[in-house]
Amino acid sequence: MITNQQIIALIYSAIDELNATREGEQVVKDENTALYGSASLLDSVDLVNLLLTLEELLEDELEVEYVIANEKALSQKNSPFKTIDTLATYLTNALNEQ
Amino acid sequence: MFIDFFLEIFEKNKNSDAIVWRDQAYSYGWLLEKTQFWQDVLANYGVTEGTVVMVDADYSPSSVALLLALIERATILVPTTTSVAHKRDEFIETAQVEVVVTIKDNDEYEIDTLSTKASHELIADLRGQKIPGLVLFSSGSTGKSKAAVHDMAKLLEKFKVGRHALRAITFLLYDHIGGVNTLLYTLSNAGCVITVTDRKPDTVLEAVDKFRAELLPTSPTFINLILISEAYKRYDLSSLSTVTYGTEPMPESVLLRFNQLFPDIKLLQTYGLSEIGILRSKSKSSSSLWMKVGGEGFQTRITTDNILEVKAYSGMLGYLNAPSPYTPDGWFHTGDKVEVNGEYIKVLGRDSEIINVGGQKVYPAEVESVLQQLDYIAEAEVYGEPNALLGNVVYSKIRLVDSTEGSLHENKKELKAAIKRFCKAHLENFQVPAKFIFDDNVQFSPRFKKQRSL
Repeated sequence: MITNQQIIALIYSAIDELNATREGEQVVKDENTALYGSASLLDSVDLVNLLLTLEELLEDELEVEYVIANEKALSQKNSPFKTIDTLATYLTNALNEQ
Repeated sequence: MFIDFFLEIFEKNKNSDAIVWRDQAYSYGWLLEKTQFWQDVLANYGVTEGTVVMVDADYSPSSVALLLALIERATILVPTTTSVAHKRDEFIETAQVEVVVTIKDNDEYEIDTLSTKASHELIADLRGQKIPGLVLFSSGSTGKSKAAVHDMAKLLEKFKVGRHALRAITFLLYDHIGGVNTLLYTLSNAGCVITVTDRKPDTVLEAVDKFRAELLPTSPTFINLILISEAYKRYDLSSLSTVTYGTEPMPESVLLRFNQLFPDIKLLQTYGLSEIGILRSKSKSSSSLWMKVGGEGFQTRITTDNILEVKAYSGMLGYLNAPSPYTPDGWFHTGDKVEVNGEYIKVLGRDSEIINVGGQKVYPAEVESVLQQLDYIAEAEVYGEPNALLGNVVYSKIRLVDSTEGSLHENKKELKAAIKRFCKAHLENFQVPAKFIFDDNVQFSPRFKKQRSL
């Protein structure tokens, strides 16, 4: 059983990695931080980078192999990529259903 | 008849070195005699016009004489070298080889007649006209190699015009269009062919030093290996006046580094494909990737989507195992995307290798060029991976230099961040690899061309 807290922690590490290569404004580690959309600092390339880093962390830390940006995620009525919170909720459910 | 102009040159230069092999020089007089010897042997074995003959031999003075004799007898020649030994059976089948001539290490030979009767229409065509042919296989890193059939008589024509005699290293072998070109060019001008036992940077540069080579025709991958191995520090390269590079896009960073180290060596980009032969080319300067291509027997044009097309007088007749790639009006679609500036072009990469990231184009060579500026990266390959959000994303496979010490090797996270920061400073965000894979395996093929994971 993977918990929401574990996923949030991994998302924060992925944000640390992203911030390490970012010039300008840093992405805040907060559950309400917008990941994609007009309220977000990230563009689509940043988002993909964040998700790929997160995939690597899932593999390293939790030993799960999972492609986050898949058809299922993209066809959700409410986008899982809106905020850190929505991503964590979606991912926790998806991983536990596996 | 077909090789008369070669024989005249050999006769006139009897005492000059023709080929250096295993540290020993063989003269044009020797080559002349050996070519005659092979003609007699072939006649005895009934090898005649239109016979499909595979030459299975090390690149040696004897095998070069054999090639000339086979051309003279108007056979269809299928050269192979040990670097493609694993494909030998596939090549015999595809080319419908009828006779295999093997030259052993001690120069003894063996001639095997196979039961095959070649019937492909391209072969029948050459046979009917009593014209020698040449079958060259594409490297085919993915899938089966394509077999291009050439009219050898047409290929030979451009060598009838005399040019500079050079002492040249045969880096590319004669189963490659570039190798055939170097060999024929050198012999037709009474230059000297310097063979090498393997293609490690040290072996090649040692041969340059020892035999005072003037020309080194090679690939961008090999130039990079010269730099990272620092082999150039161990040999005297003052005889070298020209280094040519082709077969794949050259990372600009590699070109500039070599040019800075050797400002007196002329760096020339060559352009050719196994299907159309080698065009005449002229680089804008030693530090420039811009070049003019063309020359007698070649016409070029650029399609609306910037792909280079070539019409070659000496282009191949067709493939033995694939449909004709020519347009109805006889042009060859190279698949190379180019940028045009007046008379000059710059090759950006294979159209099929361009990565489309959310509608924006990424040329692997451009990103690889940036990565290779980092001195702890030995080789970098950039390719696309499908991604649901952006269509494709950029991935990079990295081989670190052996001497990369401790911390960098241990802390991959920090290493990735450092590489990404460097890329971001030199590239657009979408061009920066999203994922790095560290792999200690070398990334080049037996022909010293970057092996693409596509």
